Amino acid sequence: MTLTATPRRTRRGPGTRAGPRPAHRPGPLRRFLGMNLPYQLLTFAVFAGGWELYARARGGLLLPGFTETVRATVALLGEAELWRALYVSNQALLLGFALAVVVGIPAGTALGRFRQFERYADVYLNILLVTPMAALIPLLVMSMGVGPASRVVLVALFSVVMVIVNSRAGVRQVDPALIEMARSFGADERRIWTRILLPAALPAVMTGIRLGLGRAVTGMVLVELLMVSDGLGGLILTYRGLLKAPPLYGVIAIILAEALLLVSAAHWAERRLTRWARPNEPRSLSASGPRTARSF
Amino acid sequence: MATLVSLAGGAALWELAGRTADTSSLPPLSQVLGRLAEMTREGTLVGSVGDSLVNLALGLAISLVAGLAVGTAMGRGRRTEAALGVYVHALLTAPSLVFAPVFFSLLGAGRASIVAVVVMYAVFVVIVNTASAVRTVPPHLVEMARSYGASERQVLVRVVLPAAAPLIMAGVRLGVGRAVTGMVNGEMFIAVVGLGRLVTEAGGRFDSAGVLAVLLIVIAVALGALALVQAVDRVVTRWTPTTWKDAR
Amino acid sequence: MITVHGLCKSFTARDGETVEALRDVDLEVAENEFLTVLGPSGCGKTTLLRALAGLVPWDDGDILVDGEPVRGPGPERSMVFQNFALLPWATVLENVAFGLRLRGVARAERAERARSLLATVGLAGCEAKLPGELSGGMQQRVGIARALAVRPRVLLMDEPFGAVDEQTRRLLQEELLALWEEHRLTVVFITHSMEEAVLLGDRVALMSARPGRIAEIVPVGLERPRSRDISGLARSGEYAEITTYLWERLREMHAEHRRDGVAS
Repeated sequence: MTLTATPRRTRRGPGTRAGPRPAHRPGPLRRFLGMNLPYQLLTFAVFAGGWELYARARGGLLLPGFTETVRATVALLGEAELWRALYVSNQALLLGFALAVVVGIPAGTALGRFRQFERYADVYLNILLVTPMAALIPLLVMSMGVGPASRVVLVALFSVVMVIVNSRAGVRQVDPALIEMARSFGADERRIWTRILLPAALPAVMTGIRLGLGRAVTGMVLVELLMVSDGLGGLILTYRGLLKAPPLYGVIAIILAEALLLVSAAHWAERRLTRWARPNEPRSLSASGPRTARSF
Repeated sequence: MATLVSLAGGAALWELAGRTADTSSLPPLSQVLGRLAEMTREGTLVGSVGDSLVNLALGLAISLVAGLAVGTAMGRGRRTEAALGVYVHALLTAPSLVFAPVFFSLLGAGRASIVAVVVMYAVFVVIVNTASAVRTVPPHLVEMARSYGASERQVLVRVVLPAAAPLIMAGVRLGVGRAVTGMVNGEMFIAVVGLGRLVTEAGGRFDSAGVLAVLLIVIAVALGALALVQAVDRVVTRWTPTTWKDAR
Repeated sequence: MITVHGLCKSFTARDGETVEALRDVDLEVAENEFLTVLGPSGCGKTTLLRALAGLVPWDDGDILVDGEPVRGPGPERSMVFQNFALLPWATVLENVAFGLRLRGVARAERAERARSLLATVGLAGCEAKLPGELSGGMQQRVGIARALAVRPRVLLMDEPFGAVDEQTRRLLQEELLALWEEHRLTVVFITHSMEEAVLLGDRVALMSARPGRIAEIVPVGLERPRSRDISGLARSGEYAEITTYLWERLREMHAEHRRDGVAS
């Protein structure tokens, strides 16, 4: 369910293969077409071209063309207004996300280890998973005002569920034989946690952190768009009110870029930290494979 | 059983907290339920639920058709996957509501924009799951069908889609959850119809009991939609050994 | 019946290197013959079988069945797979009827044919079960019934008993021999077990690896029919002689490979 760009390294050097030369080696064109990049560029070109043509033909005040948007985006990057909005938004994002991680990992791992809790908590987790959190925004604003506090809490609420659910799954899927093994060597509960459960659950926890980060960005934008007109979302609303479409689209592009950047960074960190967990993940014969909560 | 106990406990706790805290932002459950009954009598609620369900159904239908088609194409064709994969994943992680202003300017402040937001929320998770489901169909099954002279279409209909069904249904389940979210968020942003508008209006009046009452309805809609999907899922994937389902 | 002439096939591995799976393979299989193909893993024997089935393209050479060049899967050949390749969502009966259904045989007829074949392989009463409810040996019986249901003249078997336990394998071997003796089919049977190759085959085609080629064809003089007492045959002197010879040849090939510095 994630960006799994397998690094494709072709080692071509003298002495790497023995025997006769292959009858035909794929030519440069064939190799170029074997890569993903040309197709990705093609898609982008089609998208940009289609947008531009549509905007030229039907465009009005509210629909800028592609080139116009690009220009506005570049111009925006030089404006203090944007950087202030980025600062305001990311402050809430950082605090809220940190809160979610600090609360979510202990809660999730505890739920995974102690089944009695889980039986009672399950309903609420399921409800939280399907509840559109945005509907809580009016309540938060009523109790905490439109200041940073309500934005932080909302970001935390958005991302904490992912962190909990994945941490729980991580602990729950630890091979019981490993725990028995540790017990047989005389490990106490604390050692079992530090030596077995937490390391074994790390991949799933990291997945939860990545997914949680994505949701945190969503929460950040949502609260700003729907209730607290501040930060990046507020900027969108401002430009919309002023009927300034090109910078409006520019802000959208910048938000998307930030979301992707953050999630990619989290994904990279996840892969660095948990390399042992996915030797050759796909190609599972049963088509189920290690399908924990990664599909969220 | 544990579920019921837990729900009852939660309800009691809520009631208690609401009564003791005595702040306007956390009304006790009884007050919320009273407000719910009141709104039902006024008739605003029923109409809004209907509007929301129409938005949800339209958005979901589009998402399912498009998601299955694109996902299958991506799972079967390496080039389609190469051309679209990155973008689909990017849009899956992106905050979908930022596209609402775009739809607003393209489609106007009406139902079409809300449906577009629902699609934006739901379609990508369906695509991604369908593509990975189709891709992980055991190759020996496809080869087996070919060895009996199956055509490309027969391979797809008789082998690939049934084999991919469990994972596809997992994607549909996620898609339904996201569609409900998209419905509410879209309706809150483009506040012209539906439950989202009710929430926004209640919030504007500082009517917290009203907000929570609508929220209960939204949760009920979400759970209802999920139950429906699960019923379909059970029929479609009856053959799956239980261990596969546990893996979810 | 089957003629393979000068078959060559190489493919590009994921790291960009070219692997020669088959080089200049010549093979002649007579009508109603039971030919076993024996070789170390990775010698291209499965590739050869898939080429015979018309499932993979090859680079050079010809495959003829009854003088007709093979261009794809055909109704006269059917395949039995190592990992059974049963559709897990379809009942045993539907699985057996799968090939018939693809060919547009009417429902009543395909049910009847599938039922009678299930009885032949000893699975009467299992029609409504799902493959997941059967043991490995029973699953492969379903696979064999499915292959026979389309009334092929050639049965292509890719290590069909590799995934079942020892005792079951012996039973399946006996059943297969009995089926073959009764139906008179041409069988090409891939295996990596010397014992199995000798006990079942009229001839053993010994393959060497990298490049995959037929090193030698060893005739097996054991008397037919063999289905009655396979275990007795396995104690005979002639059996011991042939397996010893095969083992020596395999060991030689292994040594050659080491000398050439090819990782095996």
